[in-house]
This record gives sequence, C-alpha cells and structure tokens, in this order.
Amino acid sequence: MNALVLIKQVPNTDSPFRINSAGTWVEEGNLTYGLNDYDRYALEELLRLKDAGTITELVALTVGPERASSALRTCLATGADRAVHIKDDALAAADPLSVARAIVAAVKDGGFSLILAGLQADDDNYMQIGPFVARLLGRPCATAVMRLELRDGATVRVERELENNRLQIVDLRLPAVITVQTGINEPRYASLKGIMAAKKKEIRTLTLSDLKLDAGAIAAASARFRTVRLAPPPKAKGAEILSGPADQVAKELVRRIREKTGVI
Amino acid sequence: MACKILTLVEHESGAIRDTTFELLGLAHRLAGEAGWSASDIKALAIGQDLAGPASSVAARGAAEVICAEGEAVRDYTCDGHARVLESVIGAESPEIVLIGHTPNGWDCAPVVAAGLGVPIATECSNVAFENGRPLFTRKAFNGKFIQVVDLGDARPKVATVQRGASPAFGGGTPGTVRVVPAGVAAGELRAAFAGVKKGETGAVDLTQASVIVSGGRGVGAAEKFGVVRELAAALGGQIGASRPVTDMGWLPHEHQVGSSGVTVNPKLYIACGISGAIQHIVGMKGSGYIVAINKDPDAPIFGVADVGVVGDLFEIVPALTRAVKEAKGQT
Repeated sequence: MNALVLIKQVPNTDSPFRINSAGTWVEEGNLTYGLNDYDRYALEELLRLKDAGTITELVALTVGPERASSALRTCLATGADRAVHIKDDALAAADPLSVARAIVAAVKDGGFSLILAGLQADDDNYMQIGPFVARLLGRPCATAVMRLELRDGATVRVERELENNRLQIVDLRLPAVITVQTGINEPRYASLKGIMAAKKKEIRTLTLSDLKLDAGAIAAASARFRTVRLAPPPKAKGAEILSGPADQVAKELVRRIREKTGVI
Repeated sequence: MACKILTLVEHESGAIRDTTFELLGLAHRLAGEAGWSASDIKALAIGQDLAGPASSVAARGAAEVICAEGEAVRDYTCDGHARVLESVIGAESPEIVLIGHTPNGWDCAPVVAAGLGVPIATECSNVAFENGRPLFTRKAFNGKFIQVVDLGDARPKVATVQRGASPAFGGGTPGTVRVVPAGVAAGELRAAFAGVKKGETGAVDLTQASVIVSGGRGVGAAEKFGVVRELAAALGGQIGASRPVTDMGWLPHEHQVGSSGVTVNPKLYIACGISGAIQHIVGMKGSGYIVAINKDPDAPIFGVADVGVVGDLFEIVPALTRAVKEAKGQT
C-alpha cells in the first residue's frame, strides 16, 4: 500500500520570537526553521511500516513557501520516496480549511491507504489539518494516536490518548487519516547516505493553478479566519523573580520554601 | 427548531463531565453579551440511555437538551459523533457551537467544521463579544503568545474550549429533554470502538508526593538529570518531568506531569528547565508552592510560579541542593 505523511516546517522553539508590526503574527525574519516535531513521529511511524515491507511508496507533502522544501528534504533523507510541495503566494495567508482543500486537491487521486500527520504544528497549535483532510476526503480519522497496527489490508487499529493515562482503542476502515502524538516511537535521524540519496529524489512543486483552485475563493475563505491580534500572554500574578549569585539565591529560596511549605 | 448557541454535552457512559457546565456558563455569558435569550441555548448529548443524565443538564443551563441516541453511537467514535453533530447543527442552525477541548472534542470538532465548510477556533481560553463580534482567544506557539481570532461571517462559528475557561453555570433552568434517534447505523460507520485501556504504569506515584522536582527540555539530556535527582533526594521528593522528557525517553512515562500524564498537587513543586506549555501547567498549577528555574525570562512557567529564578539551572539547582542540605543539617 501507499502512504502519505503531511508535514510542516515550523520555527524552531528556541528562535527569537517577536511580534510583527501589524501585531497579527510573529516577525519571520529572525526565525530559524525545522521539521515540526510532531511530524517527525508521524514520518517515523510510516518509515517503520516501509521497513517492514507493508508500505510500498511513502510520499511527504507540505504546503509552504520556498524555505519549506528543506523540511521535505529531511523527510526524503530519512527514507520517504518522493515529495510534493504545494507552493503559491496566494496560500501564504490562507486559513487552515483552504490549506486542507489544497492538500485534498493534490492527493485525492493518489491512492493513499494511510495518511498520517502530527497531532499539531508547533507554531499555530491548530490541530485541524489532519481531521479536515479526513472529512474532505470522506475518510475516517483518529487523533493523538499512541499506537498503530495494521490488522489486515482493510483495517487499522489505533490507540488514542485520553486523559488520566488512558487510551481508547478504535478500528478504522482503510483508507484512513491519523494524527500521531509525540512519544509514539523514537524518530530516526538521517544518515549521511540518506542525505546523499535524498538529493536525487523528486520534489514535485504544485501551484494553485496546477490544483485547479481559485485564489479568490481562498481569499474569501481566509476572511473567515482572521487573526485580529497576537500578544504576549497576560502575566497572571507572576512569580517574584530572585536574582543574584547562585548561592545567595539558593539560600533565599530555602528560606521561602521553609516558610511557605514547611518541607525543609 | 433553532437556537443561537449549541453546546456539546461531554459524558462518559452517561456521567456528565464538568466541561459540560463550563460550556453552558460560557454560553450564558455570550448570550448576555449578544442580547440573546437564555432559551436560545441548547445542548446536544450523543450516546445511549441519556434521558436521565440529560435532565441535570436541562436543570443547569440548557433550555433544551437534545439526546441523539442509538446503539451505533453508544461509545464515542469520531465518525459517529461527527455525523450526528453535523446533522443536528444543520437542523438547529446555531450562530455558535461550543465543544470542550478534550481528547474527544478536539478529535471530532474539526471534522464537523470541515463537513459544514466553516472554520474552527481550537483550544480557546476565552470567547467574548467585542464591538458586537464574537472573538476567540487561544494560545499559539505553545503558549508564548495569545492569538485572537475573528471567524468573520462564518455560520456557525465553531470553537473548542479549554477546560476551566469559564466558571460552570451556577443558576437553575427549567429546560426540557428531547430524545431523538441518532440516525446513524453501525454499518455505515468506518470506525468501530474496541475498548478503553490503562496506559503504562510503573512504581512511581507522583499523585501522593508532597515534594516534586521536575525537569524539562532545558535539562538537555538523560544523563544530565543528575542535578534534578540530587535536589529531589535532598528534599525527600519525587522526580517529575514535562512531556518532551518522557517522549525523548530521558525518563519513563510515569514521571510525566500534565494533561497527558498525571495531575499533581504537592506542597512544593520545583520546575527546572520547563518552559510551561499549557499541557504541563494544567497538571501542576494546583501545587502549594511553585518554584521555577529557567533561562528564558519570558517562559510561561513564571506566570504560574510563586517564585522564579532566571538563569542556568546547572548553576542554580546544585546551589539549591547544597543550601537544602545545609539547612537540614542545621535543624
């Protein structure tokens, strides 16, 4: 069977984040980027099925600007067979539903039995693209999956993470869309050989016109998902910050811990 | 058959969860802001044999509780729930749909939105009218920033709402319960419920600990956890961790504090190198006294801590261990 992993390139969490002048998103100029952490686990889960011979072809797909192709290269270097890059200026400020529609336009005839994605992206934390794609393709979906097992050619059994350390077991009929939680496996790193081999693998670029999608319709849909403002979180009560040499700060902490908790 | 706000009842085999009443609390506030009547607020319960439990929801906030019942939706599946939600939303044409941001809520809500062709605001910490428009407040960048979203002319406007985002509805309502067939046959569903099980458990039980010293991504590596262990040992406490630490295998899952791990309430919680993603904070904010040590002065953990130190944990934590030992020696 063939499988698809949906990935996103996101700012590294230790990047210097600043709010842009419009106050609607972050300033992108100072950021460094990498493959979304959740997506590494989705990719690894499919690479294991490929190693086991269950998956014949594994395709990685992203929607993003030029720079996002390096995240696709990371997927190719760890073992994906080919990649698809949906790239169009009209998608730069697109709402999540329009992004999902673009993905669906690109993959609907692809014959993918399994589509995996990370539970969420580390930048917007939306948790939407996987379920959106599932619904638009008319496929069953499960999110926050911690275990995945192909039972036969027709069913995949998944364990979804619930609260309080419990898991729900669900059987999905294939083809299906699944988003994975971090910790489901241990993602591999690319080998030097893999990095070299990736250079010869295909990244196919698709624009809106290739997908027969209309930029006007995307702009109209995106008006229904507008970030009015982005701001630092309100400092609730906030901690009192101690400063000074480590030994002095430590003594002060001990004094307070003793006074407030009595555990020392 | 119409309403302005439709909320989803969250229950486990008929036991109504608190989220349900928080969503109704939020719905009543929004109705007040919009000038809608309390009779414009309805709730939808999906499952089997719900009429009894639903009456408590009708008495505490919902003008009508629609119980969509059927064997095929007795247990939660995304496919079954989403089909019922789409059809009930179609019939009731609400302005706003509120669903709890719980593992089942976040699972089915985006599917429903895509089915209706409308956007969704996920994991909202607040929804409020501003200049006549409902705005959806949520965190982005793992809590580094707050994002406020306007869903334009979408109808309905769908949101998943964090636990604790609103106080539970406190009043009483003379609501009614209407049982309708779910209209979903097991044969047409492509997902089948196969049970619920406990995750891995080990010997560590953080829920009973009176002191917890937790390490996060900032510790850097499994072999660097020594400083955290030594402080925990000096205080006679247990070792906790944030999600990245257990995901990377630095510590077993049983040490994980947070929404997907355990919820703890020790007398003393010391967070070392933990930035304070909301998933972690919900699991430890009930601690008696919270100390945070982090190199990033903007880390959200400082928002919930009582006292914080901005700096290198590899200097501060060992110094704290020495000071604790010294203090214990003196007593």
